[in-house]
Amino acid sequence: MTEEQSKSILVALGAVLTVVFCLSPFFYMALTSLSRHPDFLLPDKPFGITFSNFLSVICSDSVHFMAFLRNSLIISAASAVISVLIASLAAYAVTRLPVPGKIFLMFLILSVSMFPPVSLVSYLFKLMSVLGWVNTYQALVFPYTAWTLPLSLWILVSYFAQVPRDLDKAGLIDGCSRLQILIKVIFPVAAPGIFSTMLLAFIFAFNEFLFALMLTTDHSARTIPVGIALFEGLHGQIPWGEIMAAATITTIPVVILTLVFQRRIIQGLTRGAVKG
Amino acid sequence: MPTIEKEQWKALGFVAPLLLFVVLLVLVPVLGTLADSFFRDVTYLPKKFIGLGNFEQLLRDRGFWRATRFTCLFVVVSVPLEVLLGILIALILNERLPLRGAIRACVLIPWAIPAAVSGRIFELVYNYSFGAANYLFRVLHLTEGPINWLGSEAGAFFALVVADTWKTTPFAAIILLAGLSSISEDLYAQAKIDRASLIQRFWRVTLPLLKPVVVVTLLFRTIDALRVFDLIFVLTGGGPGGATTSLSLFGYDYFSAGDFGYGSAASVVIFLLAFGLSITYVKLARFEREVV
Repeated sequence: MTEEQSKSILVALGAVLTVVFCLSPFFYMALTSLSRHPDFLLPDKPFGITFSNFLSVICSDSVHFMAFLRNSLIISAASAVISVLIASLAAYAVTRLPVPGKIFLMFLILSVSMFPPVSLVSYLFKLMSVLGWVNTYQALVFPYTAWTLPLSLWILVSYFAQVPRDLDKAGLIDGCSRLQILIKVIFPVAAPGIFSTMLLAFIFAFNEFLFALMLTTDHSARTIPVGIALFEGLHGQIPWGEIMAAATITTIPVVILTLVFQRRIIQGLTRGAVKG
Repeated sequence: MPTIEKEQWKALGFVAPLLLFVVLLVLVPVLGTLADSFFRDVTYLPKKFIGLGNFEQLLRDRGFWRATRFTCLFVVVSVPLEVLLGILIALILNERLPLRGAIRACVLIPWAIPAAVSGRIFELVYNYSFGAANYLFRVLHLTEGPINWLGSEAGAFFALVVADTWKTTPFAAIILLAGLSSISEDLYAQAKIDRASLIQRFWRVTLPLLKPVVVVTLLFRTIDALRVFDLIFVLTGGGPGGATTSLSLFGYDYFSAGDFGYGSAASVVIFLLAFGLSITYVKLARFEREVV
């Protein structure tokens, strides 16, 4: 066997192992969500296929899962959109205009992204309590926007830097303001990049846990991660089937998103990290 | 032509909303936490300035040292493991494979779902009486009886490392993949002409050129692992008996008990650790040459 052949066998084997490694917990999750018995792996236990876990998660009033899902989608989408809008303005200035202290600003923002969330959550909690915002969407949307801004800024700067400056000049000659140039010239040209950024900001906001844990006390603004983390049964027993059904419902859109936009997500992630 | 000064004001106007958000919702809270750490700030008691009192108490607090030791051990074990596995996966993803897009998407999924969700999945995997981990060990005859994963110190640590590795290796792999794909094919072609074997090519060409990206990934993952919270909160709750309480969880526990002063002091320590590392990271970043 030549070296090339053994290499391709190794690579194929590695690829299979990688996929199994990444997907097997999801497989287990999906199986449990479809089974009457969360302990179906025990010998002599029937699997008992059922949709009752999904039905009870979706329909039950006491679980509030659909409220968590709605909250998560609204909060993450709002944060992602605001974050990308604000970061676009800043990224335009950083790549086109003489921002005073530009490099300091970029590095300040970069270091902000590495702050441990626990070092600001108590103060955010006090702030939101004073404002009377605990258990509201804005109590999470604003911190999430701020939290995703470093990521959005760094990715957008790398995309905007690729848009030819000549386009700006043409716009200026036509009498457009800088803001008009950003909206009419840069946005259309950099649309794929802006979309990638928004997708990543959405995923980051969707996955956030600590802020949501401290800034919500009931289902009115609680998000999916906290909802699933605190999912307990009424009778002391952990309702594994229902929890896994909730996890499955959460995972399905994520799977679709990553399958469809795999290239965009990878591009955005790499720009945010490696170029940084 | 607009004057330079006018342009600068305009530039500031564009940056202002970003600065406003970051200052009000990140920098002010961090400084507020720092200020709180100098106070006795407990619910129902009057707030009182106690200087470094909280920090002195931290130094004497065995729970704090235990959390520090656990956090460091967690970083030292999980981060290298994740980066090593990440390199392997990146090497595979960099090859021409059928269904490459689908395989890459599969790798992204663990990264893309909330850690709280994967934490619950792993909680079930490690369930003592019917979880998949003990099922596999039984079917493969690896142990005599079931293992008490989440109820023993070593078991809980191992469980956390595995769950964290599963969740974050994809991220490491994606970053490393970007580094790999920027290595020129010509170098490999030349190495092949020089009759370098597969393994030699990896050690002599791939690894040296990948080194900067490996360093960045290590640092990125270290900063992230240092502040680990979600997974531990869900999977072990810091247990058994506080054995897997990370520094972030330690701080949070005091916040949720209403002791904001002491919790803030602990948070300041985590902040300083992460900040020190992020300064190193920022120094490595080559932003100036690339964009401005």
